[in-house]
Parts: sequence; C-alpha cells; structure tokens
Amino acid sequence: MRTLALIAAVVAASVAAGTAGATPVKQSGTTLVGAGSSFVAPLVSQWIPAVGSAYGYGLQYSPIGSGGGINAITGRTVDFGASDAPLSPDQFTACKGCAQIPWALSATAVIYNLNGVKNLLHMDGPTLAGIFSGQIAAWDDAAIKKLNPGVSLPSAKIAIVHRSDNSGTTYNFTDYLSSASPAWRSATGTGVAVNWPVGSGARGSSGVAATVAQTQGGIGYVDVAYAKANQLQFLAMKNQSGKFTTPGLRGIIAAASSDQKPDPATNQLSIVNPPKKYDLAYPISTYTYVIVPLQSSKAQELRKFLFWAVTKGQAFGPKLLFQPIPKNVLVVAEKTIAKIHN
Amino acid sequence: MSGANLTFDRPRRPFTGRRFRFGDVSLQAVAGAAAAATTFLVVLIAYKVVRGAQPAIERYGAHFVTRVAWDPVKNVYGAGSFLFGTALTSLLALAIAAPLAIGIALFLTELAPRRLRGPVTALVETLAAIPSVVIGLWGILVLGPILRDHVEPALHSALGFIPLFGSPSSTGSSVFTAVVVLTIMILPIVASISRELFLGVPRDLKEGAFALGTTRWEMVRGVVFPYARGGIAAALILGLGRAVGEAIAVTQVIGTGVGIHWNLFDTGDTLASKIAASYQGAQSNIQIASLVYLGLILLVFSLLMNVSAQVIVRRAARRQGVGFNRGGAG
Amino acid sequence: MSTHSLTKASLRAEGLPRRRAVNRLMELLAWLAAALGVAILAVVVWSVARRGAGALNLDLLTRTPVLFSLTPVRQGLANAFAGSLVIVGIATLLALPVGILVAIYLNEFARPSVRSAVSLALDVLNGVPAIVIGIFVYGLLVVGHGQSAFAGSFALACIMLPLVARSTMEVLALVPMSLREASLALGVPRWRTTLSIVLPQTIGGIVTGTVLAVARVAGETAPLLFTSSLVGTQVGWDPHHALQTVPVAIFELAESSDPADHARAWAAALVLLLFILFASLGARWLVARASRRLGAVR
Repeated sequence: MRTLALIAAVVAASVAAGTAGATPVKQSGTTLVGAGSSFVAPLVSQWIPAVGSAYGYGLQYSPIGSGGGINAITGRTVDFGASDAPLSPDQFTACKGCAQIPWALSATAVIYNLNGVKNLLHMDGPTLAGIFSGQIAAWDDAAIKKLNPGVSLPSAKIAIVHRSDNSGTTYNFTDYLSSASPAWRSATGTGVAVNWPVGSGARGSSGVAATVAQTQGGIGYVDVAYAKANQLQFLAMKNQSGKFTTPGLRGIIAAASSDQKPDPATNQLSIVNPPKKYDLAYPISTYTYVIVPLQSSKAQELRKFLFWAVTKGQAFGPKLLFQPIPKNVLVVAEKTIAKIHN
Repeated sequence: MSGANLTFDRPRRPFTGRRFRFGDVSLQAVAGAAAAATTFLVVLIAYKVVRGAQPAIERYGAHFVTRVAWDPVKNVYGAGSFLFGTALTSLLALAIAAPLAIGIALFLTELAPRRLRGPVTALVETLAAIPSVVIGLWGILVLGPILRDHVEPALHSALGFIPLFGSPSSTGSSVFTAVVVLTIMILPIVASISRELFLGVPRDLKEGAFALGTTRWEMVRGVVFPYARGGIAAALILGLGRAVGEAIAVTQVIGTGVGIHWNLFDTGDTLASKIAASYQGAQSNIQIASLVYLGLILLVFSLLMNVSAQVIVRRAARRQGVGFNRGGAG
Repeated sequence: MSTHSLTKASLRAEGLPRRRAVNRLMELLAWLAAALGVAILAVVVWSVARRGAGALNLDLLTRTPVLFSLTPVRQGLANAFAGSLVIVGIATLLALPVGILVAIYLNEFARPSVRSAVSLALDVLNGVPAIVIGIFVYGLLVVGHGQSAFAGSFALACIMLPLVARSTMEVLALVPMSLREASLALGVPRWRTTLSIVLPQTIGGIVTGTVLAVARVAGETAPLLFTSSLVGTQVGWDPHHALQTVPVAIFELAESSDPADHARAWAAALVLLLFILFASLGARWLVARASRRLGAVR
C-alpha cells in the first residue's frame, strides 16, 4: 500500500509540475471575472492576452449565454456580464444600479448545411419565419425555390437547430423574425428563450454550429464569427430595400447607421431590419452590451479595462467580423464607463 | 493490627462508577459534533431547497406538478412535461436493464466458468464507475449518430405504427438516446447487487432443490428468486433512483423539449436534465424558483426511492453477511 | 412471483426433455445477457481508449485552452487538471475527518435511537441527486459571493461524506469486541482505545473507502456546474476563485463544433477513466488484503 501511495504522490506531483510550468500566471493580482454572451466571446478571447500584457489583469470569461450573464451579474457572482439582449426594465431593477454599455457590433448569420448546394442561398424574413415555425418543412419548398431561381434544391427535410440556453443571439434572431413577420410576432415573439414550435436545442453558439455542421439539411443561427471559424454556409438575407446582403463588415456598418443614438436611459440601440433607406444593411445585425454595476470594489480596474475595450480593443474586431463601434456610440459608452465608482 | 493481616493502609478512592476522563468526553463530543453536523446538513439541504422553491410554490401551488408548460416569455411554468420525461426514460431504461442485469448476475453466480467470474465481475463494476459525463460524451459523439443514421430509421420503418416509434430524429439527440444511455448506467448497479444477493443464497437450499431432480433453471426459479426477491426489488428501485437523478448524461443527449410526446425519437427533458440545462441562464426570479421547485420534486422522488432501497439492501446484506457501499445518483 | 412447488410429483409430471430444453434456453439467455453487458462495457471503454489515446499528448497537460480562434491553435487542459487536483483535494480534506468521526460516533458511542437517526441522515445524504446538491451549495455559498473552488469542494464533500462514513463504519464493526475489551481491561482509557487500538486496524478500510469516494467525485459534474464553472483559461491554484475541472471541461468540449475540441474531450475522458479505474482496482485490492488480514468472511 505504501508503494501505491508513493505512486499516487508522484503522479500528483508531476501533474502539478506540468500544469504549473505550463503558462505562468502573469497577472499582477487583479482578476476580472465575466460571463455571458457567446456572441461576443470571439472578440473577448482576443482581449484576454492583450489586457494581460497591457495592464496585468487576469481576464476570465465564460460564454454561458446572455441570460446567464445577466443572471450572474445580478447575483454579483461575476464582475461584469455580457449580453446581446438589452436589459428589460425589470432586469434593470433586479440588477440594482447596473449600467448597460454597448461595446461591440456584429451580426447573426443564419447557417445551413446542404452539402450538394454550392450557391449562396437567398432568403427573406417571412420565409425564414415560416421555416422556423415549422410551416415550411423541406428545402425544396416553393417559397424557397422562388427566392432562389435556378438553384436545384434537394427535397431534404429542414432540421432546425436553435439555442437551448438563454441566448442574446436568440433575442436578436427572434427580434428580426418578429419585425419581418407579424405571424411570428404573435405566435412566438421575441426573447432570449422562446417556445420554439419545432427543432432541437444546442448549448451555446458553438453547440448550434456543431449540430448544424453534423446534420444534413440543418439550419441554425450563430454569431457570424462562428460561421467563419467552422466554414459554414450562411444565407443572404433580403433587407427592406429588396437587396440580398450577407453578414459582412459592410452590411453591419450599414445597419449600424440606422440607429446612432443610444437610448438616454438605457444606452440601448436597435438596428434590426433597418428601413429601406439603408440598402446595404444586413438585417440581422446587433450591438452587444457589457453590464456592469456602477458601484464596484474593482471600479478602477473595470474602468481601465472597459475604456481599453471600446477603443484599442475594437482593433481586434474586423478579422472576426466585428465592426468597431461608431464615434457617437463610443462617446456615450465612454461617458457611462466614467461613472463607475468604488 | 496483627502482622498476618494483609490489608493495605493506603486510602482508597470511593468507586464512582463511570469515570469522566477528559479524553473520553472530548472524543465523544467531537465525534458527536460531526454526527450532529451531518444531520444538520441534511436538514439544511431540505430547508434551502424548499425555501428556494417558495416563490414558485406560492404562485403555482400543487398545480405546478401537473401543468405541462414551460414558457419563459409568458412566465408560465409547470413540471408536467418533465415528470413525464423522467417517468418515460427511467421506466423504459429499467425495463430494458433489469432482465439484462439479472441475466448477468445469474450468469456470474451459476453458469460462468470459474476463470471468467473474476474478470467479468470486475468489468461490470468498472462500468459502474465510469462518470456520467464520459458516457454522455460517448452518447453525443458515438451513440447519437449511430442511432440517428441506422437504428431509428430501421425501428421507424419496422414498427412505425406504434406511436413510440414515430419519425426519426434528425440530430441524434432524442429521448431514445437518453433511454439507451440510462440503461447503460443502471445495468451495472442492478447487476452487481443482484450478484451479491444470489451469492448469498444458502448452498443447502440450492443443493436440496438439485437433490429433488430440478434443472438449474427450475432451481433458480424456485429457490434463488424467491429467496432474493426482496433484495432484487430493492436493487431495481435503486437503479430507478439512479436513472431519475441522472442529470448530466441525459442533458447531453436528450436535446431539450417541452410537452408530452410519445414519439421516442423526439427531443424532451427530464426533471434533472431541465435543471442542468436551464439553471445558469434563468432570467426571472420566478423562473429560478420554478427550477428549484423541479429540484424539490426530484429530491422527494429520489429520496423515496434511494432511502427505501438502501435500507432494504442493507438489511438483506446484513442477513447474508456481506457489505455494501453503493453510491446514489449522479 | 408465485411459490413454485418443487415436489417430485410435479416435476416428473412436466416431462424431462421439455424441462431440459427450457433450462438450455434460460442458460443461453443468461450467456447472451452477460455477453451483451460485457460488449457494452467494451464498446464504451474501447471508444474512449481509441479516440483518447490518439489525442493524448503532452500538450493536454502543459497548455491551456483558448476561448476562440479562427484557425486551429495548440491548446490543452492544464487548468482543468490543476483545478481538479485542488477541488478534489480540498473535498477529501473536508469529508475524510468528518466521515471518520461520524463513523466512530455511530459505532462506539451512539445509543441505538441516535444511531438509527444519524444512519438515516447518512442514507438520505447519499440519496440526494448531485444536481440538487449543486442547487443547495449554490444558494448557500455562491449567491452574493461568487463561485469558488471552495464551494465546489464543499459540494463534493457532501457527496463523499456518506461514502466515507459508511465504509469506515463497516470496518469498525469488523474489529472484534474482544480487542476493545482487552484494551479497556488493561486500563487504557476509552478514547485512547478507539484512536490508538481500534482505528489503526481499520486504516486499510478507511483508505479503501476514501479512494472509492475520490474516484466517484473525480467524475462528478453537476454540482460543479453551479459552483465552479465560470472559470478562466489560465492555470490557477487559488481556491477562492472558480477553477476549471476535468469533468466540466469534458462537458463543455463535448458540445463544441471543433473536432479538435472533441479530441481533447476524449483525451481528458481517457485520463479521467484511467484514474478512476486504477483507483477502483486499487481499492478492491486493498479490500481483499484488509479482509484477509481481519479474517472477515465474505
């Protein structure tokens, strides 16, 4: 038995040595813990080493979904939360003195898996709502064919994949469906989690991307960075001016110009399904917010981190298809960040 | 006093019965404190769970248990859908696992060649030790695709007239996958307890049956089963309790869904898997309270099953002189 | 199940060839059941071994994960292994002394009524599903304070406690009364008897029970989801922070889209499985040794 104990001790020690030697923990003390939106996770992951080397802060981020992020910051189990869905008045009250600050700008891609079809498929809002409510069940449905003349669509069943966790991406997507289809608005509505008429659930944007990638005929919605990382096809959506646009930097910044004034009370912006005037806009674009308590024991570190995020941090965005936030939004964001105090 | 008397003149302390040594008292106190803390912990768990569910209990009352709804947008919640899911998956898994497990136990005690008994027993106990997250991983990446691509379409085309085998799932995540996973998790528990019980059947009873000229199966049916009947029932209850409480492996493969669907290839949710999937992102206080209410219902059922089974098993084991240390649900 | 009468008359009446045939059939079914059970185990273990071994490399232990990257990048699960060591270690430090003390109390000191009450409490604690323990510890330690490895350890300790206590009780009961009586007769105080005479006899059984409990909680995921899941990617040893653990890492990687993530999940699962297998096998070997030494009849 003594030899067993010795072996166990040696194994434990070597694991400890291996892991400790792995990546020396560089931070000079402060750890900023955040959780929430998986939508913004690609950008935040670029920030983690950068913030570490700039200020020595250890940045931790868990992409548990916007709902989880709001929950966590309300219960003060984290230092900051991240959500693509803006807080409702009830949530603001529950959070007790939290500020909502737009800190990134990107789009939701509608991904699909049809191996035989190489063309970029076109789609519009009402048809998409019909698909996600189960009324349009096969890829060769007349409505889809009408939008894609000349493309040979298989008769495969459409396998819908939605988010199973409370997700800001769901909010953004259902916000668009509600705006484009009155039928969807009354039947299902908008929310971080809705009563999906059909489909199976997956956790996180990465879960949805995984499931669609493995399911023939699958369709889902994710932050466009995940579509790019997994090389998944996405739909070109018809905006209000009649043009079909894709979730790229051009489409996103065009959508952003449709609402340049954050709400004075909540800093909220809505750029979903922009009016006809913005003909280059991709209609499922969205801002994403960081939720911070205005009073925090880590106020100084939070201010430093957030100032950096909305200025220097935006430079990491474009290759992940995040547009740097426009000037007037930046001004409002900085004003709010300055209010964080001890 | 004469010199022949051998009485000692030393003063003697009066005998006071139990002597109160500091060491004895402190050991008893410390050990007693540990026991008290354990009991207090159990009470605390019950209290915290009830307290956490209170807002939902106040709003929905007992109706919650039967309502089939879970709508975070309209804030209407109920446990009906998940009670159905728990019942369907656990009972089906038990129905499949029980005969297999008893067969394995019989094999190990009556039929197996001596050389095979040790290794196969070790194998079965090892299956019990595999963590649920690893079985869930295997379920998502290996079992799910196989069921989706081969088994479900085959079952649907062969037995599609039965509502249980409706249209196959498209992603491999379904109630059916969860049932298979739960069967794999219950199997070793029921098998190893049954094996211990069968081993404890007195030899002379068995040999008496053989002396009467019975075949081996008749002996098993007439002696072993009646003797071990209570213990096997307890083993089945314990396995059922394990299946009911399993959250992780089930949530990985069941796909999430609300409503009462009889099609096994649909997605669904059980009490435990719903909690695991939704707790982190719960939005409103009433949603959180409803999730804890689900946990309360789960707790009541699990305790009923696990505690009664453990008591029966321990009593049966003590009768036969073997020891048990079975874990609860994962 | 009806009582089956085994009178010679009834058996003869059924006809020997038919009875033999039924017997053959049942034996065949039992063989099939055993084969199926072995096959299932073999398939699961083989899946993990094959996919895990292919992905097992030093990177797993020395590199940390990356939250997101557009192109594949070398990463590992160093933070998860470190965190598991810390959390399971602290859980053992919490559960072991309390479990032993409870067992001592129940075996050596308690009145029968107290004994059955506390014994019932242990059974109840054992029967609480791990996810409910997660909810409980979340409400007790996480709300308002944040997640921490301490909270995770406390949850795991709640699961370990009844296992350690029960196995210690079993071995304590195996120590013959005569040993205690001889010690007391020699004038050794009760507490000394328990600690220096009785307890050392049971060390083997206690270690066995602890090893089995550790093997059990090393793979526990549900309570850690509530208490130590909002973690960073760097290796950390501070139990005041939430630390990543191997089972939670496997849980999260399983749902990812990246086959490289899946590979790391298999590798981590293999390491976890090997650890649990060795721990369980080691414990069984210890049981065999201990029961031989104490002369227990199994």
